[in-house]
Amino acid sequence: MRARLIASDDVIKIVDVLRRDHEVMAPFYGRGRDTYFDTVTDENRDRIQLHIPNPYYPPKRYVLPHIEQMFRIRKADGSYEVQSTYDEKKRAIFGIRSCDVAGIHHLDRFYLGRDFKDPYYARRRAHLFLVNVVCTDPQVDINDECYCLCTDTGPAAKAHFDLQLMDIGHGEYLAVAGSAAGESLFDQPFFRKATPEHVERRRKILSEVRHNFKATTGWFSATVRYISQEKVLEKTWAEIGSRCLECGGCTYVCPACTCFTVTDRPTGPNEFERVRLWDACALYGFTRMAGGHNPRKAVHDRRNRRFFRKLAHYFIQRELSMACVGCGRCAEVCHGDVGMPSTIEMIRRATTEYLAHESNAR
Amino acid sequence: MNPTPADNIYLPKLARLERVVDEIDEVRTFFWRFLDPADQKAFEGFKPGQFAQVSIFGAGEFPASLPPSPTEKEVFFTVRRVGRATEALHQLQPGDVFGVRGPYGNGFPMEQYAGRNLVFVAGGIGLIPLRSCIVYALAHREKFGKIQIFYGAKTPKELLYRPLLHEWEKAGGFECHLTVDRADNGWQGHTGVVGSLFRKPGVTVPTENTTAFVCGPPVMFRFVIKDLLEMGFKDTDIVSTLERYMKCGVGKCGHCCIGVAYVCMDGPVFTYRQIKKLGEDI
Ligand SMILES: Cc1cc2nc3c(=O)[nH]c(=O)nc-3n(C[C@H](O)[C@H](O)[C@H](O)COP(=O)(O)OP(=O)(O)OC[C@H]3O[C@@H](n4cnc5c(N)ncnc54)[C@H](O)[C@@H]3O)c2cc1C
Ligand code: SF4
Ligand code: SF4
Ligand code: FES
Repeated sequence: MRARLIASDDVIKIVDVLRRDHEVMAPFYGRGRDTYFDTVTDENRDRIQLHIPNPYYPPKRYVLPHIEQMFRIRKADGSYEVQSTYDEKKRAIFGIRSCDVAGIHHLDRFYLGRDFKDPYYARRRAHLFLVNVVCTDPQVDINDECYCLCTDTGPAAKAHFDLQLMDIGHGEYLAVAGSAAGESLFDQPFFRKATPEHVERRRKILSEVRHNFKATTGWFSATVRYISQEKVLEKTWAEIGSRCLECGGCTYVCPACTCFTVTDRPTGPNEFERVRLWDACALYGFTRMAGGHNPRKAVHDRRNRRFFRKLAHYFIQRELSMACVGCGRCAEVCHGDVGMPSTIEMIRRATTEYLAHESNAR
Repeated sequence: MNPTPADNIYLPKLARLERVVDEIDEVRTFFWRFLDPADQKAFEGFKPGQFAQVSIFGAGEFPASLPPSPTEKEVFFTVRRVGRATEALHQLQPGDVFGVRGPYGNGFPMEQYAGRNLVFVAGGIGLIPLRSCIVYALAHREKFGKIQIFYGAKTPKELLYRPLLHEWEKAGGFECHLTVDRADNGWQGHTGVVGSLFRKPGVTVPTENTTAFVCGPPVMFRFVIKDLLEMGFKDTDIVSTLERYMKCGVGKCGHCCIGVAYVCMDGPVFTYRQIKKLGEDI
């Protein structure tokens, strides 16, 4: 492990170094519990938080913006000029949680994998530097709904970051490099050599932190199996669906949701832009076709869709990773209590009853 | 990880509208060519059953089947006016420029059907994607056994490509059976749903070594599938194209996802066996 030691008071200096050639995003407190990622400036630099509840609005937007311009279209001389507009800005996300690192890795596989590569995503991603901060404080880092333990994505990311920082107490952080770019930061004078004792402290803290999760939905893999084997009854899906208010909130906060829609809009006389924006299978119009036919009308069909897509084996094999990273955001924002953890719980209960009933009947 | 701008999978290539033919109410055929001959050449390798994404700048983009066969010299779309983008296409005049990208989708594996009988069953504008296969089959007539077309629409006025159907039939080589739900004064032909044509006196539909192509609105699809299965067709010998709301055409936007498949990438052509497994309403 390429690890170094850094004093808590020096951690922010990493942001300063990165700011020389990156736009750096970091988590801040808003009002109350509200937290958000924002661009670091000279003014807010001192308010960056190392321990903080994970912001609801996911950092996914730095690789897949909520609204993104794809083309500028100009009408001229009876023809058109279509120009792709790419964002090539170098960005760093400081303080990204492990679940969100896994989310970005999932997006990598989805947008850059298989036959077609998404050119907008590819550019943003190629210019992104990730500084993961491990969740260690049970009071602030870890929410009631966090269940990265079950999805095996946290509380410490195992890969796909450039640099990882973990609070190991005594005013010290252990830094681990995950890429060559991350390792090159170790040239900075504020990093010191770590000893095996530090690495051992890291291991110990991590194993303690694992006991601090409240929402431990240990049924995750069983639920994946139930859904894939079609053991979930229609009745159960309907029950889940009837609690959904169709606000789309769960997908907007989800770091692993990928769907978008595309639209053209005027930007001036004879000028248009083609933009894409987040869309969600939970919304009524998502599958509506011209002519009014909607093959997926019932709300539980759409709910079903979201969980099926995230958890069915087939999708996991196809996209090479699960479309849920255990951040618990959907559970936090859902007014109908059909976030991922409680849905898993409902499916598990219903399926256990059903299986018990089946074996009695035999 | 760093594609060049040429690799932008969403980038429409510019095309010019050459001529427009009125088909039936609200439906027109649009003949076009890419401005860049290299684009045209690259596109011409398309397969029957594939589709393209059509951009009307400022109004949006939509998927449209490729009704021409690759054996024909022209490319065109036949499009019904239903909403914003299709309406905008209908507004274009010859000479106007719009965008096309593709071809996309799997298409019908026509080589696999060599030596077999082909039964085409279409309803309404479902004939558009099948046109490509029919023309392809006729261009390679010697490769196939018996070829039959069963085509129905609500009224005689809504039968698409009628002059073509007559022309092809006269040229010989296949049977063509038409029907309408409601006849008007001039209609001498059959009335009834498409499936009723299978039982018309004098009609024999082979079921052995036969592939049935079914395209049409959801209700028609359900009834025809039932008829074909009762006649003895295997679910692997019935093929269809599925229609879904599509935004990207390349497996990224998620709109066309049905069951475990993406219609834009794994389809739009599926066998009935596959469709059954997708487990969603058609
Ligand atoms: C693979 C594939 C191939 C296709 N091939 C063809 C083809 O060859 N030819 C073809 O014509 N279409 C084809 N379609 C369908 C075509 O893509 C849609 O008709 C088109 O996307 C509509 O786009 P729009 O922007 O005009 O409509 P939008 O504005 O996006 O939507 C129209 C919506 O407005 C409403 N609406 C407006 N007018 C009407 C109306 N008259 N009746 C009912 N509802 C209305 C409906 O709610 C409808 O959903 C194909 C679709 C797919 C997926
Ligand atoms: S489904 Fe819910 S818990 Fe899973 S990644 Fe998305 S928001 Fe987080
Ligand atoms: S889900 Fe895990 S990694 Fe994400 S914020 Fe909660 S504790 Fe941290
Ligand atoms: S059309 Fe976008 S995924 Fe199929």
